[in-house]
Amino acid sequence: MTRGNRIFMACIYWAFVLYVFVPLILMILMGFKDSKFIGFPIRSWTLDWYTGVFNDGAVVSAFGYSIAIAVLSTLVSILVGTWIAVLLEGRKFVGRAVIFGLAVMPALVPGIISAIAFRIYARGLGIEPGMGAIIWAHAVHNVPFVVLVVMARLSTLPKSQLEAARDLGADPMVVFLRITLPYLIPAIVGASIFCLLLSFDDFVRSFFLGGYDPTLPVLIFAKLRSGMSPEINAIATVALVVTAAIGIWAERFTRRMNKDSQS
Amino acid sequence: MTDTTPLVRIDGISKSFGKTVALEALDLDIAQGEFVTFLGPSGCGKSTTLRILGGFETPDKGRVILDGQDVTKLPPDRRNVNMVFQDYALFPHMTVARNIAFGLELKGMGKSAIKARLDEIMSFLELDGFGDRYPAQLSGGQRQRVALARALAPDPALLLLDEPLGALDAKLRGQVQKELKSIQRRTDKTFFFVTHDQEEALTMSDRIVVMNKGRVEQDGTPEELYFHPASRFVAEFIGETNLLNGQVRGMEGDDVIMDWHGQTLRGHVAPGRKVAQGPVTASIRLERLGFGKERPATQNAVQGRVIGATFLGSRMALDLQVEGAADATLKAYVDTTTGTSLGDGPVWIGWDADSMAILND
Amino acid sequence: MPSDTAQIHQRPGTSETPTFWGRMTRWTPYRALVDVIYGSPRRQFLILAIFPLIWVLTQHLGPMMQMARVSLTSAYPVAPDTETFFTLEHYMKFFGDSIFWQPFFRTLAFAFVFTFCTLIITYPVAYFLARHVSRRNQMLMLLLLLIPFWVGEIVRTYAIMILLGNTGAVNLVLKTLGLIDRPIPFMYTSFSMGVGTVYLTALYMLLPLYSALEKLPKSYNEAGADLGAGAWTRFRRITLPLTLEGIGSGCTLVFLISTGFYATPVLLGGPSTTVFAETIAGFFHVAGDQWPTGAAFATIMFLAALALTAMFQRIIKAMRKGDAR
Repeated sequence: MTRGNRIFMACIYWAFVLYVFVPLILMILMGFKDSKFIGFPIRSWTLDWYTGVFNDGAVVSAFGYSIAIAVLSTLVSILVGTWIAVLLEGRKFVGRAVIFGLAVMPALVPGIISAIAFRIYARGLGIEPGMGAIIWAHAVHNVPFVVLVVMARLSTLPKSQLEAARDLGADPMVVFLRITLPYLIPAIVGASIFCLLLSFDDFVRSFFLGGYDPTLPVLIFAKLRSGMSPEINAIATVALVVTAAIGIWAERFTRRMNKDSQS
Repeated sequence: MTDTTPLVRIDGISKSFGKTVALEALDLDIAQGEFVTFLGPSGCGKSTTLRILGGFETPDKGRVILDGQDVTKLPPDRRNVNMVFQDYALFPHMTVARNIAFGLELKGMGKSAIKARLDEIMSFLELDGFGDRYPAQLSGGQRQRVALARALAPDPALLLLDEPLGALDAKLRGQVQKELKSIQRRTDKTFFFVTHDQEEALTMSDRIVVMNKGRVEQDGTPEELYFHPASRFVAEFIGETNLLNGQVRGMEGDDVIMDWHGQTLRGHVAPGRKVAQGPVTASIRLERLGFGKERPATQNAVQGRVIGATFLGSRMALDLQVEGAADATLKAYVDTTTGTSLGDGPVWIGWDADSMAILND
Repeated sequence: MPSDTAQIHQRPGTSETPTFWGRMTRWTPYRALVDVIYGSPRRQFLILAIFPLIWVLTQHLGPMMQMARVSLTSAYPVAPDTETFFTLEHYMKFFGDSIFWQPFFRTLAFAFVFTFCTLIITYPVAYFLARHVSRRNQMLMLLLLLIPFWVGEIVRTYAIMILLGNTGAVNLVLKTLGLIDRPIPFMYTSFSMGVGTVYLTALYMLLPLYSALEKLPKSYNEAGADLGAGAWTRFRRITLPLTLEGIGSGCTLVFLISTGFYATPVLLGGPSTTVFAETIAGFFHVAGDQWPTGAAFATIMFLAALALTAMFQRIIKAMRKGDAR
């Protein structure tokens, strides 16, 4: 490839980086604007919107609500997803392909359809819209990601590890608890973080399955519909900082874990 | 080995995987304290035998008796047999000490007993000070010793070794072979070793079982196998050899008289074995041929000439042709002095009847 | 060395209490449990399989089946003392009114166009990352792109609103440069929706493309150059065919995701850009019992999306096969 071509490609990459970052940076800046009116240019700055947000009970409780939902739904997803992955990986049986297909299906159903289907199903099961319904929907939706991540990790576990443990007197249960499970920890941690973020960021399922209490994305959406304001920027920025920080930490953590187990 | 009941009795086991027959009616006794090696090419059934002894496979037919108890159907965790895996299978998330203690904990030993046993086995295998390291922080040779320590720690009646030297580099391998043999002598444990490497088998074993296509080809000491291979397969698989295709003329005691390209030769068979007249193959090792200008005093002697010589450093490889028979060729190893002194002229080649083994097929 | 032999054969005393794992495996209820679970390979498999099987059937398949069932029922939720019956009327409604099928086709068209745009935009980025950046930097530069994607759908949609608004950054820049007098109304058009959709889905295209390109040995291209192929020919004849699989999975993902967007079109689109997701959602917002109609429409959309992606996968497969010849 020619040098000119290479520079051209580099320009495209950095242009893409700008495209990805600039909107978010602008949004963050707007949260410090000393005016109710959203728009450029920004002439004076303030922190009032932030103090307002932290004193707003509705925002704080939506934040806590979102976190609680994320944590609980992740626990369910991890348990179920790991179980399915352990069943599917390295085993041949009739119907394996069907179970695998069904296991990853929720991740492929377009958002609105999955939200509607969950809504109808929850009604059929008698689950009222609210926290329980959201947790359930998020858990089901996130199971496929856990299944895929855990299966990928499990496929790299040498069979001789399991046989060695059996050989040294461990029954299958002890083998699972002392060999398989510790080996899966990096995958489980990675998948947990991913599920936490998916749940925390999810709008469409929370929107259709929510009761009176809004999750953070639903609250932002509701506020946006009634007009833009720097207050929303402040809320969104807080949400952004939390998710990006967890994301970066998880990225580093999984990388370190992988490095450890490879060396 | 005064004990008459064997430690392990393999009683007619067969095993097939789908249509592939891995083992066919294998019978074998292993005595306490023996270093037995199963030798053969891949797919010969040696690994299947090992896995059946370990409890990882159940034979289709037959029984495995360990210490007088039928263990054929017992899972690996219920038998007093431990294994050193080909890739060592050390647990990467546990320290060396935790790895070795794994089997001890499951045996129900207490903390101080485990500690004592750990110290003992680790100093025995020269692993002192490695207890807190992780497998990833060890060299290949150290990992191999940890694997051995982990398998020996619970004091198994039988230790299985699945090509445990394959992952080591050639230089280290020779040293580890000696170590392994010495460990086996000092612990007086029964080792069941599986390998495809004939040199490894010859240097370490008390007894070698050569396997081919799910059957035992020959079972004997390294010397017996080397000098008196029972079959063409064994002769060719272990070391290098001359195969002489001739006709049996008759027998004199345990000696077989055969005709080979007009030469009458005398070969050896196991006591009591009878060889019928007809075509036969004999094997004579390359270094067993002697040379001289005069007819040697050995029972077999033919005249020939050197048609090729290759210098190999410590010795020379010679290609020889027997006088008067274009098809009759022999190969020989000689020291360099002898090799260079032979020249182009006719030479006498001689060997004892005892060094020439008459093969089964 | 006889002393060693004696040592190694010494049997440890067993009077001490076992350690945790030793105690656990000797505990009678535990042993009974293990015997029950692992009694036979068949039973072990059944115990392992039964929960996942029930879960995927009731939780993964269940909602979709229930949705399909409701879409064929006359009324849902069922009011007391009313009979419900099988009907296709909810499906008929879809074809009956352009207010329904127009958004449907608009959604598919949008999804097509936006998927294509995402592909065009991210391919060079993935190519650059996989081909022109050292291993070490690759990970860092990829991570740089990942960070914004951890941020949620709503927040990022809002960021686009601020970027494209009449008093937004783009209009400000254009005005300052003297290119325009009055702000360009980007917002509430298919353009703003496109920018938003691409912004939200780019990652799902980028990652499959990147991993496909990264797997491709550089030597192929060098061999091509050696045989005299120009840059464009090399790309068309070597790189493109060998990354078709990555293109296929990236496009499938982005297509499925963008058909399912609800909040983004609501916030970025206008009356002329109503998508099917909004139509479907409408049936669940109004107080009246329109759930079966909503379910029918969602089913139509699901089947259409499935059929289109299946078709697309077949095309990609055929193209790959064609090239292998």
